[in-house]
Amino acid sequence: MTTVTPPAPPGRDDPGSWILEQAVSPRRRFTNGLATAWMVGSLLFALVPVFVIAAYVVSRGAAVMSVGFLTKNLQEVTQFAGGGIAPAIVGTLVITGMAALMAVPLGILAAVYLNEYGRQSGMAKVIRFMSDVMTGVPSIVMGLFVAAVWVSSGLHRGYSGFAGSLALAALMLPIVIRSCEEMLKLVPDDLRQASDALGARRWRTVVSVVIPAALPGIVSGAMLAIARAAGETAPLLLTIGTANLIQANPFSGTNNTLSQVIWFNAQTPFAAAIDRAWGAALTLIVIVFVLTVAARLVSSRFASARN
Amino acid sequence: MTRSFRLRRAVIAVAAPAILLAACGSSSGTTLNGSGSTFQQTFDQTAIQAFENQNSGVTINYAGGGSGKGKTDLQTRTVDFAGTDSLVKDSDLSKYQGGAILYFPTVAAPITVSYHLSGVDSLKLSASTIAKIFSGAVKKWDDPAIAADNRGVSLPATDITIVHRADASGTTSNFTKYLDSAAKSDWPLGTGDTVNWPAASQAGQGNSGVAQAVSKTDGAIGYVDFSDALAAKLKFASIKNAAGQYLAPTLAGASAAVASATVADDLTYSPLNEPGADAYPITSPTWIIVYEKQTDKKKGEALKNFLTFVLNDGQKLAAGVNYAELPASLQQKAIAQLSKLQIPA
Amino acid sequence: MAASGGKRIDRAFRAVAFAAGFAVLAILALIAYSTTKNAWPAFVHQGLSFLTSTHWDPNQDEFGAFDFIYGTLLTAFIALALAVPASIGIALFITEMAPKRVRTGTTYLVDLLAAIPSVVYGFWALEVLTTPAKRVYSGIADTLGKLPILGHFLGGPVSGTSFMTAGLILAVMVTPIITSLSREVLATVAQDDKNAALAMGATRWEMLRVAVFPRVRSGLIGASMLGLGRAMGETIAVALVIGSSHQVTSHIFFPGDSMAAVIAHNFGEATGLSRSALIGLGVVLFAITIVINVLARIIANRSTALAGTAR
Repeated sequence: MTTVTPPAPPGRDDPGSWILEQAVSPRRRFTNGLATAWMVGSLLFALVPVFVIAAYVVSRGAAVMSVGFLTKNLQEVTQFAGGGIAPAIVGTLVITGMAALMAVPLGILAAVYLNEYGRQSGMAKVIRFMSDVMTGVPSIVMGLFVAAVWVSSGLHRGYSGFAGSLALAALMLPIVIRSCEEMLKLVPDDLRQASDALGARRWRTVVSVVIPAALPGIVSGAMLAIARAAGETAPLLLTIGTANLIQANPFSGTNNTLSQVIWFNAQTPFAAAIDRAWGAALTLIVIVFVLTVAARLVSSRFASARN
Repeated sequence: MTRSFRLRRAVIAVAAPAILLAACGSSSGTTLNGSGSTFQQTFDQTAIQAFENQNSGVTINYAGGGSGKGKTDLQTRTVDFAGTDSLVKDSDLSKYQGGAILYFPTVAAPITVSYHLSGVDSLKLSASTIAKIFSGAVKKWDDPAIAADNRGVSLPATDITIVHRADASGTTSNFTKYLDSAAKSDWPLGTGDTVNWPAASQAGQGNSGVAQAVSKTDGAIGYVDFSDALAAKLKFASIKNAAGQYLAPTLAGASAAVASATVADDLTYSPLNEPGADAYPITSPTWIIVYEKQTDKKKGEALKNFLTFVLNDGQKLAAGVNYAELPASLQQKAIAQLSKLQIPA
Repeated sequence: MAASGGKRIDRAFRAVAFAAGFAVLAILALIAYSTTKNAWPAFVHQGLSFLTSTHWDPNQDEFGAFDFIYGTLLTAFIALALAVPASIGIALFITEMAPKRVRTGTTYLVDLLAAIPSVVYGFWALEVLTTPAKRVYSGIADTLGKLPILGHFLGGPVSGTSFMTAGLILAVMVTPIITSLSREVLATVAQDDKNAALAMGATRWEMLRVAVFPRVRSGLIGASMLGLGRAMGETIAVALVIGSSHQVTSHIFFPGDSMAAVIAHNFGEATGLSRSALIGLGVVLFAITIVINVLARIIANRSTALAGTAR
């Protein structure tokens, strides 16, 4: 059943919404409006926290921030102000860097297997599925695993930055594999065929043609995985111990990270400790955001270069 | 330049600084690791800082985590020394892989019963009331039991939120031992580094975690070491001691309690519920425990020097962070025990 | 000869790549094996009551984890109740409503949500959210909480650190993952199908109801389940604001505890049997999240397969 609607009066610019008003019952318009409100409202649910949290971290963190804060050793006495978070910054960079050194090459190789060799074979499907599942393993379970096998009852190596790196690497691996595989998939087959036609072996094609072509995407994916690992706390609590002085050697002795400093200081009532935690939070957020933004820039340049 | 050459160069560019950093990181000095009681943590941190200032070759890390953690870390030799406010159970002695252990008392301090109740600035509590509160028998602040200890004070009808330790804690051990000895009929939960607190209570991590929970929750009450309670600006109750006096926690009260306690040969003692009129009834002892037989020469010497410092000049630092020095007699016995440490030649 | 040498390298390279891929399976298997092996003494000691008893007392070697399993489930449930509608709403906004530039900006901002470390979420919530939240909870408890049935869920005495606060911050944290997966799922619906509905005179909402939702239902369910898995495994933010209290209760404004939070708080101190018990909690958590993740992937993959044939 259609009604003939009168023509739009002059001056109304949007025939679409005018038709909507004339042809659609108020009830339907109301439901549609509710739905629109739901979608826009959800947006606020997501966006407001980002801005509010960022605002708090920046303002409270900036109040503590200084060159001294970034370069001095941790205050020995938690109750007192003073000292800095340099050991935590070094620890975060070293431990996360070590984890990346282990997880990124291994992840790239695994993605190479999945996309270049295994493709749709049974084994490749299983590995692909399982590495998807592995992204859902809670980080604390990774920490328990390393604590059980490396730190205590198993190899009994004690706390160390490296133990933390092992846990973080296990966390990063499936993320790197997934994103790498997506990037390798995007490399057009023409390139591979051309390289084949020139007489190159498969491995040569992969190493000299495919990976370099996918490199920006791979780098971007790796940086996102590193950003995620840099913010982790739970696996480190169980594996690295604590340290108040800079420990740049991940194999020697206990260590500390920004995330751990925040965790410990957050659970005290001392104003000095809370301030310290805000400062560490600001530093950590800056590191993570820089990595995230850089990853996006690298991947968007990659996308536009391809087009 | 081929791509693989560029890749190789990039890898070296990344790896080289990492190797350099690693080389820089290795220190030539000695590192001692300790963990355990958070009750003594502030004093330990202060002493460590002062000691490190005088001995640049030594680094000491004290990880806290509760007396239970310290004891088990020492068992497995994950640490070189442990802080504890409670004794090692006889049945656990065989778990200590390094052999016999020595108790070195370091300081003492009151355990405060801290609370957060708007409008009530001073509170008196007897042992049996505390026992009833912490066992869940008394649920509201205006309960007759609390009112009986505080005649003339108007108490609001707020619900009581008990805050206790989440970790295995010597502070819990001493607090529950006090309640067990001073209010046995009202205290059903026994003693130990952990006990079975009532269901709706809240847990805090370490003494500072309990202090934080108390400071954030109106109606909360918890047991916190003196130093942390003061730093967190908590209100604490005056406790009725064995002589019938309501005493606020003070260092003088703690010292009086320690002075009248009986000290065993291995330097363990309990200053809880001491009879003196000036003795604060919930005074906690605290020790650093180490293996009698040290296996590493440099670490053993550093440890001995650190303990010597703590027992001599370090004692003067105690009051500044709200701990009570050891009485002279106990101090002398502890210093004498230092010679029992066997350090390889 | 170059040919045979190259062949060897080829085979070696393939083998190395395969080994790297296999490493995923090996690591997963090793996690399952080593954690279960270390938890075994506690499982043997406690038996099935590990999962059903509410009595957790390491001092007496009692390890009933039901309180924590309940807390994990309750906070995850609260989180999903808030996050799923919001995430799908955002995904719909991005795919249906937003002009191109707004689309990239919004996606960017949602990714930033994902980038914030969980310890920062938890610390912020503890410092900034708990006090005003407590006031809001009190208001609710004093009004809705006095009503007969609602009172069981919303009644007091309320606590700033509680199941609800943990659920709230979890909701914000799992939104990015549900949103990004929902977006992928929504993008598989052919524009032709949507246009057909619009051409018939449907409003946007009606078009979604008719042309989009039926096709993407499995995918959205899969996305939500992945969010559920993430919510259950989240440790640090929950540990900071859940209140560390052992109780099973329907009151969402009461403090509680979750499996992961208990492990994070107590692992450092635990020894012997209680250490095994904490690892046992990890095994239970691992098993639950694996099951949820596998189911979620199966359900979500089914949807994309269906959408592929819908053209």
